[in-house]
Amino acid sequence: MRFGLQLLFRQKKAVAGFIIIATLALMAMFAPILAPNDPAARVGRSHQPPTVSHYFGTTKMGRDVYSQFVWGARPSLAVGFATGLAITAIGTVIGLIAGYFGGRIDGTLDLATNAVLVIPNIPLLILLASFAGTVGPLAIMTIIALTSWPWGARMTRAQTMALRNREFITAARMVGEPSWRIIFVEILPNLVPLIGINIVGSIIYAIVAQTTLEYLGFGDPLNVTWGTMLYNAQNSSAIIVGAWWDIGAPALGIALVGLGLALLNFTFDEIANPQLRSGPALSRWLRLTRLRKSELEAAR
Amino acid sequence: MRIPLRRLGVYFVAFLFAIIVNFTLPRLMPGSPVDSMIAQLGPRATPAAIEAIKARFGAVQQPIWLQFVDYLKGLATFDLGVSVKYYPQTVTQVLARSAGWTALLVSCAIIFSLCVGVSLGAVAAWRRGGRFDAFVSPFSVVLIAIPPVIIALATLFTFGVTLRWFPVGYAYNPDLDPGFNLTFLGSVFWHAIMPVLTLSPYMIGEFQTTMRSSMISVLGEDYVTMGRAKGLSETAVMFSYAARNAMLPVLTNLALMLGAVFGGSIVTEIVFNYPGLGLTLFTASVARDYPVIQGQLLLMTLATLGANLLVDIVYGIVDPRIREERA
Repeated sequence: MRFGLQLLFRQKKAVAGFIIIATLALMAMFAPILAPNDPAARVGRSHQPPTVSHYFGTTKMGRDVYSQFVWGARPSLAVGFATGLAITAIGTVIGLIAGYFGGRIDGTLDLATNAVLVIPNIPLLILLASFAGTVGPLAIMTIIALTSWPWGARMTRAQTMALRNREFITAARMVGEPSWRIIFVEILPNLVPLIGINIVGSIIYAIVAQTTLEYLGFGDPLNVTWGTMLYNAQNSSAIIVGAWWDIGAPALGIALVGLGLALLNFTFDEIANPQLRSGPALSRWLRLTRLRKSELEAAR
Repeated sequence: MRIPLRRLGVYFVAFLFAIIVNFTLPRLMPGSPVDSMIAQLGPRATPAAIEAIKARFGAVQQPIWLQFVDYLKGLATFDLGVSVKYYPQTVTQVLARSAGWTALLVSCAIIFSLCVGVSLGAVAAWRRGGRFDAFVSPFSVVLIAIPPVIIALATLFTFGVTLRWFPVGYAYNPDLDPGFNLTFLGSVFWHAIMPVLTLSPYMIGEFQTTMRSSMISVLGEDYVTMGRAKGLSETAVMFSYAARNAMLPVLTNLALMLGAVFGGSIVTEIVFNYPGLGLTLFTASVARDYPVIQGQLLLMTLATLGANLLVDIVYGIVDPRIREERA
């Protein structure tokens, strides 16, 4: 674990990603200090451009975009991260069970996994959300988690199947350890890098899905999130009247989360699969081989 | 060409799942959606229309399995019910009107991103560790993580509203008469550019990432060394030896991504006011036009399943190992 963290922080990209995410999380945490005004209060005229008193300008309703941006980070990040964790938890458990037990259990679970995987998620989400009417953060979380676990389940299942026939698992079975203990104590720790990738990927997916749903107007309009900010800005035709700050602020927030998570994910991938690495070590090695090649050619 | 029965089973279960979701959701709802739909129809609600809606959404005195059988019978004859918003048009008519535009956008975006993403991935893997790789590969991962809404809004604002390079709505100039002539086709092309460019970044990122990792593992294979040993040029080895075989995982990924691409096309069409399935779905969801929303899910599921099946077939043709196994 400690080795893994060291590996992580030696990478510039991972550090950059971590700093971005940490800054946004801190901003969400200290929202009451950073933006003491009520984000829903009318503070100025409609669609004022950014000024010293309103850093990010105002919305059509005359609300302070900066306050909304800071406070909107809270539900956006919380729902994104919680949903990502929920997706990973469901996927990991299903993948572990299918991969470990095999046979008919695996047959059924694998069939379900592949079936849910090929159903287009966003249309399904829209169908569920439109029958539920406007949905709060918890409902959005549940809907996304229930439809997006198959990616993780597939990866976990494949890894578990590879581990199942190793000696230490056979030994544990011989000693008479119960199945649940083998799964969670013997196999699970070996899947930690995979789970890390899964969590980051799922958070990214959850944030994309959440933004889409809220942009389409399925979020609770009274709840200030980055997604509902986009929805309100779109409804007040902010782009057409040239109020770029109204759309730009929430878009920037979401894009930054995406950027930070993507940089983390890229590094996780390289750690879990050294073949993909492109860091300093590799380029040094490549330079060496290239040098040898040119020397050989020169000798010829 | 034979497709394994197991794959067909998966598609069957997926389609069944979509049907069951469609059938049960309105029946599970606390407040009856039937009343709200009849209220929506207002004076247009003929007794026949009310009966049809009631039957479809379970507000009839009939055992549940009989309702389900009726529902399946309707599906088998492509009867998806009537639209509430566009009554008396049927759901099939409403969807047929817009499906073509979405198919155009999605297929253009797929072809464009396949070309760009696969080449970027192949070159990044070939020059692994170089400056090109160090920039393009992390950038692709970032592209995957940015929601299509953001890209669509940024494109619309920059190229549509500020620079005024491209039209900001509709699939073609409404002053033109649709027809098979150059002016009309040019207008269609011009209107599709921004939506297609919006749909592409996510796919380019996915294809680049998949292609790069698959190409890296292929580069270690003996036949690539063999190609080099034969003294072939770099590009020949790269494209006809390595990239060709590395394409296979990209195809699998393409089929699995299609659901997400449809999700992206919904948002893109809304932002650019493009008259495809996504915009129809959006207006339907605002109007609580449940029959259209349901028909949409079935249609998009069918399209995804069809694409998966197609990839299964292509995969068998491209990969001789699979062909042999099944023969």
